[in-house]
Amino acid sequence: MAPSTKAQWAQPPSKEELERRNTVNINKETVTNTVSTDFPGHFPGEDHAFSIDRFQSGFDITFHQNDQFHASFSLVGIDASLANAFRRILIAEIPTLAIENVFITNNTSVIQDEVLAHRLGLIPFKGGREGLRNFLRFKKGEDAQDYDTVQLDLNVTCTVNTDASPNETDPLKAYHNAHVYAKDITFTPQGRQEQYFSGEDAIVPVNPDILIAKMRPRQTIELSMYMNLGVGSDHSKFSPVATASYRLMPTIKITKPIIGADAQKFANCFPEGVIGLEKVSKKEAGQRGSGYEGHAGELKAVVVDPMRDTVSRECLRHEEFEGKVQLGRRRDHFIFSVESTGQWDSDELFLEAVKKLKQKCKKLEDQVDNMVR
Amino acid sequence: MSREGYQVPTASAGSGAVARGSTGMQDTRSSIMSYLCGDCGGSVHLGKDSTVACPHCAGRVLYKERTKRMVQFEAR
Ligand SMILES: [Zn+2]
Repeated sequence: MAPSTKAQWAQPPSKEELERRNTVNINKETVTNTVSTDFPGHFPGEDHAFSIDRFQSGFDITFHQNDQFHASFSLVGIDASLANAFRRILIAEIPTLAIENVFITNNTSVIQDEVLAHRLGLIPFKGGREGLRNFLRFKKGEDAQDYDTVQLDLNVTCTVNTDASPNETDPLKAYHNAHVYAKDITFTPQGRQEQYFSGEDAIVPVNPDILIAKMRPRQTIELSMYMNLGVGSDHSKFSPVATASYRLMPTIKITKPIIGADAQKFANCFPEGVIGLEKVSKKEAGQRGSGYEGHAGELKAVVVDPMRDTVSRECLRHEEFEGKVQLGRRRDHFIFSVESTGQWDSDELFLEAVKKLKQKCKKLEDQVDNMVR
Repeated sequence: MSREGYQVPTASAGSGAVARGSTGMQDTRSSIMSYLCGDCGGSVHLGKDSTVACPHCAGRVLYKERTKRMVQFEAR
């Protein structure tokens, strides 16, 4: 009698099985295997309980790009629930400073008071980090204090430029202040704000050339503005990011050789740099059952950089590639893209999101403790 | 610092009867209103019975002036 082998389910999962579980299949008309299964009790005999050690050993962050206005990085080995929590916190829960109240003394421009106020509210501002982070607080009471309110002013009048030729048709040359820009906004430090927001650290628009209004001679705008801290869930003008998003890492598996003219056509189905063309080596051509027999020296399609793929599924529309390619996405590989509006740096914002989630967890922990007590 | 002639009437105790159509002490001043001419943009002062026309260009479209008070808006 042969020695009794363990039942198949009692063996640890094979590499292929793990890859299968970790891949979202992208087929011609359907998307399958979308749900993650790495939780306790799903696979008999496997322990999928969350532990910090297991998370740490499987987790990895790689930066692809890190500029002030755009950071792109990969989080590998994390569940969608956490990755999505970071995304949502980035958009809606990190406080920023924005114009909240506009006091208009005079506005004879063609743009209406309320529209003007709305436009002003959407302008992103920057200032000293120390002051923004540690000095400013959320506004609580009715009265404005130096630690919760920042005052800005905008006083512009359009006048005729007497130096310009009378035939001048460009309003920017014919008149002074024909265009009102964000750079025309002036900042008046109040109280202790002088310490935190002076010189380099003054509160100024991130983009000085944002057009606020257009005017003609004798039209005038005279107003002052109060800025407060706020969060994106209250109004998107408080959102520190222009956008924060992620996508799953695409996978492209060429299951049967694609050779010759087909290879070129296959490469054209993808964005540039995703698929490369390589010569079939003599060794491959000599190998029986490889599919390359007698094709030595011809070009074959190879996957070079699946991250650049947009997963358009174009290659699945062509008959000649049927059964030769399997598209998918890695379930636990999130490619984040964070675009800051300029008040904070993009990478800083992600760290801030992690901090925020940690704070929330601490709060929940306290509440659970109280519940048990 | 009142920037406009208009004062909110306060009903002072004792004097229950306030004459209608009269603002009392500012009678003559408040009956002259300032408008902006729609044609030439000039300022036009009109009394109670004067014809609605601009003295500079005879334009008959007059606009009411914007309040000189500060107006508050939410930037939303
Ligand atoms: Zn006139």
